[in-house]
Amino acid sequence: MKIDEDKCTGCGICLDYCNVDAITLLGEVARIDSDICVECWVCYRNQVCPFDCIEPEPLEAYGDVFKHVLSDPTITSKGTGIPGRGTEEAKTNDVTGRFAKDVYGICIDMGRPGVGAYLRDVEKVAMALASAGVRFASPKETPLAGVMSDIRSGKIRDDILDVHVMSVIIEGTIKRDRLGSVLEAIKRVENQIDTVFSLGIVSMISDDDDRPLMETLARHDIPLPSRGKVNVGLGKPLFYG
Amino acid sequence: MTHSLHRCGRLQEQDYVWLLYHVKDVNDDNLTERMRQALAIAEDAGSINWGDVKSGPIVIHSAEEVKAKLTEKSRLRGVFTSEAQITQFLTKMKAADLGLCVIVTGPLQNVYAACRTAGVTPHTINYSIGVFGKKDAIADEETLAITTMCGHHMIPDRYVERVRSKVRRGKTRPQKAALKMAKMCPCGIFNQQRAEALLASEIENTSPEAS
Repeated sequence: MKIDEDKCTGCGICLDYCNVDAITLLGEVARIDSDICVECWVCYRNQVCPFDCIEPEPLEAYGDVFKHVLSDPTITSKGTGIPGRGTEEAKTNDVTGRFAKDVYGICIDMGRPGVGAYLRDVEKVAMALASAGVRFASPKETPLAGVMSDIRSGKIRDDILDVHVMSVIIEGTIKRDRLGSVLEAIKRVENQIDTVFSLGIVSMISDDDDRPLMETLARHDIPLPSRGKVNVGLGKPLFYG
Repeated sequence: MTHSLHRCGRLQEQDYVWLLYHVKDVNDDNLTERMRQALAIAEDAGSINWGDVKSGPIVIHSAEEVKAKLTEKSRLRGVFTSEAQITQFLTKMKAADLGLCVIVTGPLQNVYAACRTAGVTPHTINYSIGVFGKKDAIADEETLAITTMCGHHMIPDRYVERVRSKVRRGKTRPQKAALKMAKMCPCGIFNQQRAEALLASEIENTSPEAS
């Protein structure tokens, strides 16, 4: 995204529409720092500039295209065929069985809520998860896997580590009896990153009503969840596990 | 995507997201017709906002326009404002037996109660566990209560902070501001009714001296 500096009057209206403070006023002209900009297109889509100064630039570099796909939910990922950051996690599990009863799904929304994340920080968390035994979803299931140079270790391509995105999901599975080691890894790595993440744990419901999950969270001093995304099992044919 | 999962703040008991999904070659036969039937059920149950990320939400386009643009790539999602509404939605979706994947996100206690009443059994849950990392970088809770209603964060923190300030100063009305925010969320899962209530309490919490 760029601002036509010849037309800009420096009114500053656009600053409130930037998620990551990439727009600054320099003198009487607004400028966008392309390294910070995540290409979410919020400023452009909402037509906030009274003088139509905000306009998209052609996105040619791989990293620029990637961050636009990740940050703008109206764009579809070519790898997954799903709009936005693109992962179906629990939403279709009643027919896909992506998460069976012997695993938990780990869904980490890097950069969320509202902070944004550089892929170098995403890599730190992914590698910590891999060390704890998480197996990542495939490139057909989640866009992040498509930019990992080693999907087993969570290593991300070196040439895009400085790419900034609004958010990106690290998704994978862990054997149920190893969840504790994942939580420990999360607590270690959270202090090594310059951003935030929101954690989701996916569980196909068993007869135990997820008591073991709640007990594991409690053992790690993590408050029990009060909200969740519930797939109510109306999809057909139903996956029974 | 987990764009509906990590909502936070006050009045969550007035806020439930519904999603309809399908999987290619698994449960996508006669898809657009089944989506239309499901939409009729959601509308009848009182969904105040819904949309298809490809064509937009009904707070921008008419419901008929969005329905006319349904394709096999559409993914429908929307929002309810009460447990009674999701109970009705789930009861009728079960009876319609459309075979689509149906997901409801919200406070678990209320969602479980609605499932019990509707006679459906949760199959899989994505639990919202919390925020980790550099938490001092995130906005205050009242701002997040609004911004997280568009999980893709298409409504910036700074914008919401400015709107909250304008509401407190009487420069804009909560209803108008909430509707404008809803139009910034392309998926149609922003709950403009909850946003209006959150913004209205800005006025109630502002002393005459402070304003």
